[in-house]
Amino acid sequence: MAMRGFKLNTQPLQLLTQEQVEAIHQGTLKVLSETGIRIEHQEALELLSEHGCQVDFQKKQVRIPEYLVENCLSKVPSTFLVKARDPKNDLKIGGNTVYFTTFPGMRIVDLDTWKSRPATKKENADAVRVLDALENLHKILCYTPYFEVEGVPPVMAISESVAAKIRNSTKFQLTGYGRHCELFNIKMARATGCEIMGQCCASPPLTYYEDAIESAFRFVKAGLPLHISTGDIFGGTAPVTLAGALVITNAELIAIVVLTQLIKSGTRLVVADFVFPQNMRTGSPAFGGIECSLHHVAFNQIWRGKYGIPTNIASVGLSSSKKIDFQCGYEKTSLALLAALSGANLIQLHGGVHGEITYHPVQSILDDDIAGMIGHFIEGFEVNEETLALDLIKQVGPVPGYYLNKEHTRKWWRKEQFLPQVADRLTYPEWLKKGQKDALVLARERMEKILATHHPVPLSPEQDKAIDEILKEARRYYQQKELI
Amino acid sequence: MTDEIVENLKRAIIRYDTKEAEIWAKKVVQEKLDPLRAAKAITETIRQIGEHYGQGELFLPELVGAAEAMQRAMPIIEEEIKKRGEKRETLGRIILGTVYGDIHSIGKNMVATLLIAAGFEVKDLGVNVPPEKFVAAVQDYQPDILGMSALLSTTAPEQRRVIRILKEKSLRDKVRIMVGGAAITEKFAQDIGADAYEATAPGAVELAGKLISD
Repeated sequence: MAMRGFKLNTQPLQLLTQEQVEAIHQGTLKVLSETGIRIEHQEALELLSEHGCQVDFQKKQVRIPEYLVENCLSKVPSTFLVKARDPKNDLKIGGNTVYFTTFPGMRIVDLDTWKSRPATKKENADAVRVLDALENLHKILCYTPYFEVEGVPPVMAISESVAAKIRNSTKFQLTGYGRHCELFNIKMARATGCEIMGQCCASPPLTYYEDAIESAFRFVKAGLPLHISTGDIFGGTAPVTLAGALVITNAELIAIVVLTQLIKSGTRLVVADFVFPQNMRTGSPAFGGIECSLHHVAFNQIWRGKYGIPTNIASVGLSSSKKIDFQCGYEKTSLALLAALSGANLIQLHGGVHGEITYHPVQSILDDDIAGMIGHFIEGFEVNEETLALDLIKQVGPVPGYYLNKEHTRKWWRKEQFLPQVADRLTYPEWLKKGQKDALVLARERMEKILATHHPVPLSPEQDKAIDEILKEARRYYQQKELI
Repeated sequence: MTDEIVENLKRAIIRYDTKEAEIWAKKVVQEKLDPLRAAKAITETIRQIGEHYGQGELFLPELVGAAEAMQRAMPIIEEEIKKRGEKRETLGRIILGTVYGDIHSIGKNMVATLLIAAGFEVKDLGVNVPPEKFVAAVQDYQPDILGMSALLSTTAPEQRRVIRILKEKSLRDKVRIMVGGAAITEKFAQDIGADAYEATAPGAVELAGKLISD
């Protein structure tokens, strides 16, 4: 029985007309067949060439014909199951299900000075433990939470992160790749009886480097699901116009859809939309920009709507703000809500603070309330004889009748109302009395409570030992390569 | 059998079941069980519910539901206590009501429920209570405390009127008066000659305890 997540019980929000969707699709086909994609991986080039792509082996450029695109798009399952360490945390990705997942940060942010520093190993494990406890968090992403952890050599960061997540949570996880770490990561998942999702990211515009493609081959051949992602920046690595940027994103992702389905037809895929406007003053991405949502909503319409492939909206969980503050709150909430309304299957919301630089478990706790609010909204409400309550309205009548004391209220109120865990909802006098705490203070208190009381199901001693052995093997491997 | 009836009475309150609460309270009388013991079981149950509410595990619909089940059972038990010439130990007797012109009941009901949960005997006069009714209740029930609620700034002056009439009838010194409600402030309470003001329901319970022991 997979985690339920939330259901979008309404028609997804759409921005584009059918003609506009078709124009973007046709544009994508043209780019794929005329400009092509640069793929720095010999085996991939050969495979694509065998299946009718026009490959320039010197420039490593692949032109993909329309029929192959259409054929491969149709082979991707529109819903599929992935196995977590605890079967109750399995996920059924696709359809109208919306799951929330994390956004990582390189370092931990100090909640008083708002400066960043590397996290300790304990802080990293604790941050995962908090995620394990949050009811609206369904999947944990790669690197999560931190990718700069004291005492962990950079080359070991991803594998150590996978180990920390397996040990401190029974939820499903996605892993990163690079320097062949995926070999060890797949081993750790196998040793603990769960699946792990791999990743393959474009280097826009229209390019994939060898390690990304190698990761795709490894996960697909292992029969594991894959998350494919771009990183387009409007006006930087993609056209500044949203329509042009959508064509670039589509072309980059479709190239990997084709490749993976040629390696193994029916491979489970999630396509990720990780896009930003270019911040035209600083040169960094404009995290939290509402243009992200214009792209996300159209992306959901094209990918989930037209192609029937599950989507992951990535550029939601990080803000331009350096603090957990009003701006961080409105940027994350606006983008997450629009992603959910437009039919995203996964939304990367939890924990990220500033632009991939910082993360904090307190932020993940605040985000869990946002996820709960959004989930409650998209589910809508029931209209039936009991919820219309006509008999009750007749019985209660005008004043002095009221509803607070009714069985109907007791039966329905928890279903009809969302109760945030940390939002300040006290009356003004109570708030004054109880220390004038805001949501940030209350989230800090909830974090302390979770850390004091929440203990995820541990690995068996054999599994724990197996993880240690695999990490040792990884270290030896990197020592031999003189990377440690 | 005795245990079973009292347990069923407690369960009726925990399940917010007013009908069952009444049935089992009547059973207590029929089976000639100790009504003081039954009353204690009821207040203990409501105290626990009040605690769960205070800790954020239960909410107003449950608190109000339990209070209504209790209010159905308690008069039956109290009548039996009276009949036997016995007396129930309480922390004190309190009369509550929302003033004339004001029909807001939720805050006042919360205060009533939490006071009962804490062990006070509460007579709730309801909402839109004319000043004469407050005054008559002070005369008839001789409470330790009179509590008045007003949510609107336009109805707050009714509290002043009640106090003035109590003074005219030489009843003011016989009762401690506490006031509350969104429209009331500490300063207003002082101006109209009330003994104390409190803004929150849990705080009102603490305040009542203080007023009684003073």
